[in-house]
Amino acid sequence: MIVAAGPVIPNFGQGTSCEVNNGTFCVSWVTEHWHDTLWPALVQHIELALIAVAIGFAISFLLALAGLRYRLIDAPIGYWADFLYTIPSLALFQLLVPITGLTTLTVEIALVSYTLLVLYRNMVEGLRAVPPDVLEAARGAGFTRTQTFLQVELPLATPTIMAGVRIATVSTISIATVAAFVLPKGLGYPLFNALREDTFKTEIFAAGALAVALALAADGLLHLLERALTPWARRVRRA
Amino acid sequence: MTVVAAQFQPGTFVDAIRFIVDNFGMLFHLAVEQLELSFAAIGIALVIALPLGLWLGHKHRGLFFASSVANVGRALPSIVLIAFGVVFFGIGFWNNTAALVVLAIPPILTNAYFAIDSVDPDLVEAARGVGMTERQVVTQVELPVGLPLVIAGIRIATIFVIATATIASIAGGGGLGDVIVNQASYGLSGVVGASLYVSFLAFGAAALLGLLQRAVSPRPIPQD
Amino acid sequence: MFRKHTRRAAKAAYAVSLGVALLIGLIGAAGATAAPKAAPTIVIGTKNFPEQYILGQLYKQALEAAGFTVSYKENIGSSELIDTAITSGKINFYPEYTGVIVQDLAKKPSPKTGTATYNAAKAFEQTRGLTLLNATPFYDSDSFGMLTSTAQKLGVKTIADMKKVKSFTFAGYPECKTRATCLLGLKNTYGLTQAKFVPLATISVYTLLDQGKITSGDVFSTDPQLLDSKYTVLTDTKHIFGFQNVAPVVSQKTLSAAGPKFAKVVNAVSAKLTLGAMKAMNKAVIVDKKTPAAVAGAFLKANNLG
Repeated sequence: MIVAAGPVIPNFGQGTSCEVNNGTFCVSWVTEHWHDTLWPALVQHIELALIAVAIGFAISFLLALAGLRYRLIDAPIGYWADFLYTIPSLALFQLLVPITGLTTLTVEIALVSYTLLVLYRNMVEGLRAVPPDVLEAARGAGFTRTQTFLQVELPLATPTIMAGVRIATVSTISIATVAAFVLPKGLGYPLFNALREDTFKTEIFAAGALAVALALAADGLLHLLERALTPWARRVRRA
Repeated sequence: MTVVAAQFQPGTFVDAIRFIVDNFGMLFHLAVEQLELSFAAIGIALVIALPLGLWLGHKHRGLFFASSVANVGRALPSIVLIAFGVVFFGIGFWNNTAALVVLAIPPILTNAYFAIDSVDPDLVEAARGVGMTERQVVTQVELPVGLPLVIAGIRIATIFVIATATIASIAGGGGLGDVIVNQASYGLSGVVGASLYVSFLAFGAAALLGLLQRAVSPRPIPQD
Repeated sequence: MFRKHTRRAAKAAYAVSLGVALLIGLIGAAGATAAPKAAPTIVIGTKNFPEQYILGQLYKQALEAAGFTVSYKENIGSSELIDTAITSGKINFYPEYTGVIVQDLAKKPSPKTGTATYNAAKAFEQTRGLTLLNATPFYDSDSFGMLTSTAQKLGVKTIADMKKVKSFTFAGYPECKTRATCLLGLKNTYGLTQAKFVPLATISVYTLLDQGKITSGDVFSTDPQLLDSKYTVLTDTKHIFGFQNVAPVVSQKTLSAAGPKFAKVVNAVSAKLTLGAMKAMNKAVIVDKKTPAAVAGAFLKANNLG
């Protein structure tokens, strides 16, 4: 073998003593790695969750309309969503890899599946809970079927549906942390890496805290959205 | 990029069933391990959350607390809790148990609170009027009425804990997760087989507690 | 009935929400399934530990600097999983350890020298439409690690000495359980049937050793932690851990499509990866908590390769 010139090994920089000794929380690490590790992970996480809830919402809405119209398929859809929910996320992600590859699509399919349980049930329950006499009144006032749906049933079902969206969003953010097992994206990725590297506490706390904060923020924002969409309920609340 | 769908076909499902049959002993042993961890966590959570929830509900105090616990509880990703558990407790019995206890408390606490809090106040008044002590009011009126909802909360916590105990395997928790994270050794059929097993356990627990819930629910008064 | 403006507001809100939801969903789906670019894209995969991330970044950045289009799939999993990925075409390039190819993938006994191992690995991969580029000077083999204090207490210096220990725990990645270069080798070649395996999907072996939870574990010979005299490795007299230089596994189709420059760039990088260089880079990532991308970039720049 030809002996090539040895490599130049540059100085990569020393870790601070807090980092090297795995102190409880090294602020220096967070500031140094916010831009290359934590922020990208946070953005990826938001993307993953947002897409999943959006698609889940659309699919559940269509399924709910079908389930309401044709009672026979309501129960099977419900059971199917229940079953999907009990599949451990670790397994579902791995199952999809041979089919859809090591891509974001794989993760999204799994995440969407987990939202269906809550969203479908809440939409169906919410729409079904509209009192029949209100529907009667609407029909009596000359509303068409579509008008009744859009102007009476949907607004009345909004609190229940929004409750479902809140739960689905928070649980999607939660499950997306597991996605890092098959896809190096989202806040789960720095978390897994930190566990592997001698349980690096700072990274675990930073990534974990961001995940929790994200979920709480999403929950809070959706709560505000719910109140904005149901102004009449506010009056009732104050009474 | 070519995608091979041939690896996951009905064949994989059949292989998974065969895996379960071939490895029945090992899977059973792992299942027991997982249930032990789960029940330990649920037991501890019951001791902490049930009395607290019942008492707050009885006193009609702490609505904000009970709702917040539910909200915060949902916002805690299981992986994060398991990772925190490792940081605080190292690897052993407590890191995963503590994480699962934290996950189990919110549904138990919140449901217990609302179950007791929403008992018809007239009923409670009547009981007090008849001369019952506070303890009797709780045990003979509020608890029986609120029991279905309380059990519903325990049911949710149980399913959640059993399912999450799967992930605990990455932190030394053992259980069926050991197979699910080890596709390299057990193949995809092993992963599918073990996760079917977990679904079965979670469903089983849910069904049992569902029966219990039905048993303690008041039957509708027959119409004359 | 509801006031007109609240009715309209709710209706509008729903329409907007549903529309936004669909829009986000479609854009997201389109982004997720975007077709790869036309020219031979090098799809690099890596296994799931820091040294692999560094290697992946080294090759990725060097190839990108040379004008290639690179798609990077980090952290795919163990050798068994990433091997499936390359044989099924999901990736076409990943850095592998030659001994692992021979002993764990081809399931053959370990050859007697590093060169023989490389040749056997290359021959095996070529039967599957793949091939190996040049090997690196450094090698990274599994090792039998334990706390120095434990080794002294048990009075063991080689792995064969462990036979006299009545029972002990040995921790490692899950796939270690069925590998000749790991637990299987310990049990079959050394006869250490009393070893109790502790699978670790993400927790580090050193964490468990520090906490006294395990007697011994599977460590990598280039781990920076081993620079600390707190830990020691037992001698592998029967060579179950094999010879483990790194050589990039490439799909033959990609190799011919990418032109001679491709192999030249990759081999130039591999040639510079001495044991000293790799240990320094591992230390920077694992101990000093620098990112693999930054460390790889600095190394390439210092050696005029990126």
